[in-house]
Amino acid sequence: MKAQEKILEKIHRIAAEIGKDVNIMEVCGTHTQAVSRYGIRSVMPKNVHLLTGPGCPVCVTAQEDIDAIVSLALAGIPIATYGDMLRVPGYFGSLEQAKRKGAQVFTVYSTEDALELQKKHPEVVFFGLGFETTTPMTAYAVQKGLSVYSTHKLFIPAMHALLNMGEVRIDGFLDPGHVSAVIGTDAYKGLEASQVITGFNGDDILVAIYMLLLQISEKRKDIENEYKRAVKKEGNPTAYKVIFEVFEVADGNWRGFGIIPGSGLEVCKKYGKFDAKKKYKHILDKIDFSVSKKATGCKCDRVIRGLIMPDQCPMFGKACTPEKPYGPCMVSVEGGCNVHYRYRKQ
Amino acid sequence: MKEKEFIELEHGGGGKKSWELLQEIRKVLDFKGSWKNCEDDAAFFKMPTKGKNIVFTTDAFIVDPIFFPGGDIGKIAMCGTINDLSVMGAKPIGISLSMVIEEGFPKEDFFKILKSIGEISRSAGVPIATGDTKVTEKGKIDKIEITTAGIGILETPISNGGIKEGDLIISSGDLGEHTVALLSERFNYKTKIKTDSKTLNKELAQAGKYLNACKDPTRGGLAANLVEMAEKSKVKVVLEEKSLPYKKQTVAISELLGLDVFSFASEGRFIAAVSPKNSKKVIAILKKFNKEAKVIGKAGKGRGVYVETGWGSLRPIEMPSGKLVPRIC
Amino acid sequence: MCLAYPGKIEKIEGDQAVADFDGMKKTVNISLVSDAEVGDHVIVHAGFAVQKLTKEDAWAVLKTYESARKNLRKNT
Repeated sequence: MKAQEKILEKIHRIAAEIGKDVNIMEVCGTHTQAVSRYGIRSVMPKNVHLLTGPGCPVCVTAQEDIDAIVSLALAGIPIATYGDMLRVPGYFGSLEQAKRKGAQVFTVYSTEDALELQKKHPEVVFFGLGFETTTPMTAYAVQKGLSVYSTHKLFIPAMHALLNMGEVRIDGFLDPGHVSAVIGTDAYKGLEASQVITGFNGDDILVAIYMLLLQISEKRKDIENEYKRAVKKEGNPTAYKVIFEVFEVADGNWRGFGIIPGSGLEVCKKYGKFDAKKKYKHILDKIDFSVSKKATGCKCDRVIRGLIMPDQCPMFGKACTPEKPYGPCMVSVEGGCNVHYRYRKQ
Repeated sequence: MKEKEFIELEHGGGGKKSWELLQEIRKVLDFKGSWKNCEDDAAFFKMPTKGKNIVFTTDAFIVDPIFFPGGDIGKIAMCGTINDLSVMGAKPIGISLSMVIEEGFPKEDFFKILKSIGEISRSAGVPIATGDTKVTEKGKIDKIEITTAGIGILETPISNGGIKEGDLIISSGDLGEHTVALLSERFNYKTKIKTDSKTLNKELAQAGKYLNACKDPTRGGLAANLVEMAEKSKVKVVLEEKSLPYKKQTVAISELLGLDVFSFASEGRFIAAVSPKNSKKVIAILKKFNKEAKVIGKAGKGRGVYVETGWGSLRPIEMPSGKLVPRIC
Repeated sequence: MCLAYPGKIEKIEGDQAVADFDGMKKTVNISLVSDAEVGDHVIVHAGFAVQKLTKEDAWAVLKTYESARKNLRKNT
């Protein structure tokens, strides 16, 4: 208790010294959850604003990819997916809805479960979603013969895109702790912002915010590490290497950002026969993806970019709730809209 | 034209959607008469003999897996109904047992389940008074489905909407361990934790008279049940973070699978509201049955259920919205 | 986006290790942290260990950070 009160005092003091408004953006869905879960916003100084960025892999999955995987499921191909993606609605419905229509959709906790599933369902396709923390697990499984539809993405290019778009002034980033555990600390060089690599407890977040405010106050743009217990300077070279043994860098299609060059990961030629996009090209080519671009009124893309708070979307809490989600930001437990809805009483 | 709607799994999940379906069902089954509407865990019928009012409840059990660490479907079917009566303050006097069995279900497994039912019946002192057994063709149901109904007698029921401002909120023991037992079985975690399924009639027979409100946090866990109690009672409940009634193993599996620990079900625990002057007495009674019994929070003016964090902020606990699906994000 | 939890390695058999998460034991894949040993703490995401953990919690990091700043001010 005492340590937390002390750090809050320090945070308030530095914020008062800074005086003007400070925008700190967290870019990891697990941080979005943690910030609300620990009631961090309610104890922040009035001039410190915690923004939510595009750190929820579910939320940034392009509509086309959702429509593609649901189409594959409806075409009779067994699909294995992390639970996060089950309820995300696409134009043809969600994977859960496809399951109700008779599609074979399996929820797995790890790619090892997917490999186990493959023994019973040899044609199973794993819906690969996630950033650098999660991609090594998919790469490992592809090397063992699992087919994958990849929507895996690299995170740093999106951070650059955010800064370059300049729509919101970002004074500092709370960098994603577990992505950093894989990519290391130097990966963030070149980003024009103050940064602190942050862990996921309330204590971690408070200490990181304090370190970041000091940087902002002293006009430094350093890369500091609060999550030292899990993040080494060199990251995890084994995990990082396996990503690029199986995947190659391509353009990434992000909800809210469109195409971000060099941010996508596609299965490389060596493992081409496990690439569901190639294997099922004949099914995917027949899909009319123009429907994926149809405006649904969902403002998830603006929430992801930190342009609006979820409650500024006209559908928030009315047509769009966690029970009846319109878009992925409301489906995902880490989505900005879902978190905002669940913790709105704070 | 309105799109055709279907019953979804979430309608049976115990969260918001279940509650919404229940309201629709009540509208259709509306029956105006001299019996008390079923707002609590059981229905109340006032009888001419003092102290012998009847409470009546039923529950259907379709669980997967049917055998889990520490118990089986028979055990939770018995404990569920006995406890629904007990948390109303009633003395359970008889249970009916209906079973629908899938053709091909092993007799050995069937009698294992019956043995559990018999053991609970005898140890709780509540007879299986009547029952029915049907067999259906293979594939028409999944292994076995059990429905229990129970009758209890009491003078005045303990409401689950009777929390008063200033009341202390107590838990009869650590929560969520039934869900932990099921999850550990399903996701291959080894743990000492078994289902918390047990009957509560003996402790409630002693402590019931001191309780202002009482409920067992089964489906939907603390989140669904305490939120419902607070809404009905029109109070604000604040739980102390350091007193949250969850073992570290329970928290660990909830974090590992990305599930909300507050929605984990218990099948042998209750949460209750008690006035401060009676709290020590009640805790002393409950500790005889479970040494984990403790005060977990307080009720006051306002609305909602919250956890007070280490630095004074309030984290809201909401009605869970749907099925527990593990996540990686 | 990276739900992960710390566990202590109890047993290793090739690529697989039994990790203890506060009393919950599960087999996890340690091929990404091949130098992990019995007794090490690792952070586990989606069934795989991702990194070895040290004991440096937020408060330890803060202590080191603040004394480094103090020394810097002393020397400048």
